[in-house]
Amino acid sequence: MSILIDAKSRIMVQGITGRRGRFHSERMLNNNSPLVGGTSPGKGGDWAFNGRIPVFDTVKDCVDATNADVSVLFVPPHATVDCILEAIEAGIKTIISVTGSVPVQDMMQVKSALRKSDSVLIGPNSPGILVPEIANAGIFPDHIVGAGDVALVSRSGTLSYEVLDILNEAGIGVSVAIGIGDDPIIGMDFKFFLELLESDPHTEQIVLVGGPGGESELVAANYIMESITKPVVAYVVGENLKASIMGSVFSRNSNFFLNSVERKTNAFIEAGALLAKNIEDIPCLLRR
Amino acid sequence: MKLHEYQAKSLFRQAGIPVPASMLATNAVQVKRIASEIGYPVVLKAQILEQGRGKAGGVRLIQHEHEAEQIANEIFKLEINHQTVQSILIEKAFTFNKEYYLGIFSDLDLGSPVLRLSEAGGATCLEKDSFLNARMAERQIDIDQGLHRYQVRQLLTNGDVDPSLWKQFGSIALKLYDIYRSNDATLAEINSLVVTQQNQLYALDAKINIDSLSLFRHESFLDSIDPTYYGWLEHQARKYGVTYHQFTGELGCIVNGMGLAYLTYDQIISMNSIPAAIIDIHGGSTVSSMTSSLELLFQNDSIRAVLINIYGGMTNCEEIAEGILSVTAKARHKKPIFLRLKGTNDISAIETLSGLKQLQIFDSTHELVKAAVDYLKDS
Repeated sequence: MSILIDAKSRIMVQGITGRRGRFHSERMLNNNSPLVGGTSPGKGGDWAFNGRIPVFDTVKDCVDATNADVSVLFVPPHATVDCILEAIEAGIKTIISVTGSVPVQDMMQVKSALRKSDSVLIGPNSPGILVPEIANAGIFPDHIVGAGDVALVSRSGTLSYEVLDILNEAGIGVSVAIGIGDDPIIGMDFKFFLELLESDPHTEQIVLVGGPGGESELVAANYIMESITKPVVAYVVGENLKASIMGSVFSRNSNFFLNSVERKTNAFIEAGALLAKNIEDIPCLLRR
Repeated sequence: MKLHEYQAKSLFRQAGIPVPASMLATNAVQVKRIASEIGYPVVLKAQILEQGRGKAGGVRLIQHEHEAEQIANEIFKLEINHQTVQSILIEKAFTFNKEYYLGIFSDLDLGSPVLRLSEAGGATCLEKDSFLNARMAERQIDIDQGLHRYQVRQLLTNGDVDPSLWKQFGSIALKLYDIYRSNDATLAEINSLVVTQQNQLYALDAKINIDSLSLFRHESFLDSIDPTYYGWLEHQARKYGVTYHQFTGELGCIVNGMGLAYLTYDQIISMNSIPAAIIDIHGGSTVSSMTSSLELLFQNDSIRAVLINIYGGMTNCEEIAEGILSVTAKARHKKPIFLRLKGTNDISAIETLSGLKQLQIFDSTHELVKAAVDYLKDS
């Protein structure tokens, strides 16, 4: 048991016959994640992976036949809005968009649809959810970390691997690892996951990994102060962006506001979280 | 991605937003000829994407023909933050009574467009205080519903805008929203929107930023990306599907994902060094994005060493290794490569790289960055 994904979850993959979808679905099968089906329009009726997994034309067909309640998307960016809206309409509870770089106005349409539904969207540009020994709904590298009682919630995918690797080296396991997504507009924010983790019996401590740009970390810090009783270790990457005018190079290529890192680290300190100055410091700030 | 004023105004004109008569020129002789056609007085406006062109002297009023060439030449000589002026927009000069600001922007945290109206417009509005002190009204727009006239009216009735202008405001706001939507803009603003003596609204300036993630469906904008502003290397990298961040040091870096880019950058800076470049090959990158990125760094003579920091989730480490092997096999310059390669299929990937003499492999970002920075300091 964990938040959002557990042994009873029924995972499907949208784009199961594409290059990435096939590769990572096979990994999910090999690590015993509860994968039950997938979609690939035009290939409905086929079976993938030596007849182990049925392929459907639509998400609705897949849900009707398999009772899938989690969908992981491996589709091109231009098709993402279409696939998320299809999953919402088919009643998928947890939608994970591994696909990233989704156009901003497409995501605005998705946000509008999410407000009117009960579905939860993780991502875009998310590595998914990893519950060690139970399920890897997404693209987390295999065997990266063992089971434990620390939850990781990270904005960046690659930094979530980096942190899991560091935790693993220190002999610390996790209850769940979640990449909330690193696109300009994402579905659920840090606060949403903190709320779930606070009441998750398998989580004793929380590691939050943020970055420059946006307000999500500030909202999270405020929420930690008001409502989170479990210990939180926070790390925000990008501290040197302010120290150097070279930071402006990043800002020209992306929509990030560079002064935001210091504001965020200060907010976490004020909220009573333990701030990791360096990413390597995270394990020694966790209670043993 | 920012559009030039003349590009934005052309979209305004097509949509029916009133703009002054204007034409573009690329040399002073042309400026003079066009100014005579339009009729004096005219305003010359440097077409430059850097902010602060007004303060730098990039916007000049010309009353008489005899000034035109000289002032145009002065503008062409301007340099704002290393950017030079490639073209000048010649525009019919206006007298006006009042300036407003009208804009639509993408609020990423809300996940919605926001319409903003301010009673302070023009250059002064860029000075934050006067902008914030002025009456300003905002309204979130539901993208499913679109923008409607009553929503614009609600903003207007809370302010001091004369009711005789409400209808024009409404039309312009709706047209601006159409431009914002149909071009995948992240910003579409009129600053300033002026009221002429005939009580007509005109867009004196136009600013449109396009969502760079949407360019696959707006191919015409790809041709209008200004490489003098966005950088030639950045421009080239974009064609390979990777993102190039240029700096001034000697260490060329390749990473997958922005988080790892920031972490690598943070650690290089904290070791008192500066990268030459950080190329983000993004998640799920292929052999070709790796080879193109590595070639870009190898071709650059100011780069003395290459750092590759990959933690593959979606990215298959075997494809990264294949990319490294194919470039090092044919590269004439044997720059040292410092590599950290972990994640999906890392063990077999590292095996294929054994025996590559210019390569050193590390286990963590910290060890990797330290070794590369030490190498540059010692040699």
